[in-house]
Amino acid sequence: MHPILEEFCDKWVWPTMPGAPGAEFRLKLTREKCLPAWEAILERTVHDIEEELTSNDEEWKRQHALRGYAAEGVHMSIKQMSAQLLSVDIGEQENYIDLQRMRARQIWDECKHSKLHADVLLGKGWVKNERELMSIAQANVQPLPAYFGPSMMFPHIHPLARAAQNYYTEANACLGIMAYIKMVDDPLVVHEHLSQRDEELMHFMEGKFQLDFYCATPESQHHVEDALGYLLHQIGGFGRSPQPGAAK
Amino acid sequence: MSLKVDHERCTECRMCYIVCRELDINAVYVALEPLHRIEIDLDACTYPGCTACLMYCPAAGSIVEVATGRSMVPPSPEAWQS
Repeated sequence: MHPILEEFCDKWVWPTMPGAPGAEFRLKLTREKCLPAWEAILERTVHDIEEELTSNDEEWKRQHALRGYAAEGVHMSIKQMSAQLLSVDIGEQENYIDLQRMRARQIWDECKHSKLHADVLLGKGWVKNERELMSIAQANVQPLPAYFGPSMMFPHIHPLARAAQNYYTEANACLGIMAYIKMVDDPLVVHEHLSQRDEELMHFMEGKFQLDFYCATPESQHHVEDALGYLLHQIGGFGRSPQPGAAK
Repeated sequence: MSLKVDHERCTECRMCYIVCRELDINAVYVALEPLHRIEIDLDACTYPGCTACLMYCPAAGSIVEVATGRSMVPPSPEAWQS
């Protein structure tokens, strides 16, 4: 196991509330399905970072910051997460107040990410002020399907499917962030990842809690298994997605 | 023995609050003063009998043992391997 993954598991994955009804299911799922995928994706990320570090200029940092500026913040926060909140009927809202509060907290986090990416661009002297970013296409476009694609249209995801998404996917984010923080000796790049480190780990814990507490029966567990099967196949799969223009 | 929140580390995500309420212990609460921060009611908290909040807290160092000042997040193995 990669040392970063081992550290992540020891700190955040294996600690389990004694007697948690869904813990056995979560841990089995982790060992059989999540770990191999986490390991593969982490290795890919580490390889990408190593390649970036061998380059003689900092263009990759600029590209990361521009893409980060576009990817985080209002785009996904407002569109995707507000859709999740609004998928709950008004009469039922009070039953989901904690979920709403966590999404509100996430919107705050997401907006902070953009500021940190902008801070890198400003700190490195790549832009003079944030207004200049409005003229740079990379800072304003977003190809990920979660933002504007069809998956945005289906907010009525089962809460336990969402928990699986939080648990599996956000662990990948946590691992990538850990890798950048450990491998890149640049205070601005480290700084760029700190708000995401906090946010992604919160999501991971949200998923971990829901799996441990609510996934004690086959009826509840199948939502998680279905979602994880989809995520492993479609999103976190082991092959890179085809690049635009590569399809014949 | 009990736990308290280190407000220099806590990100106020409220995972501990949700977990504690789910177990109907209700030791974690939102204090009106100051700043609506998360606090732990020492009389209601059953630590070390219950360590649930420690397992789901994502902010390293944000929950500490009152008696020793020892950081409990991420939890050490003795907090959950019992």
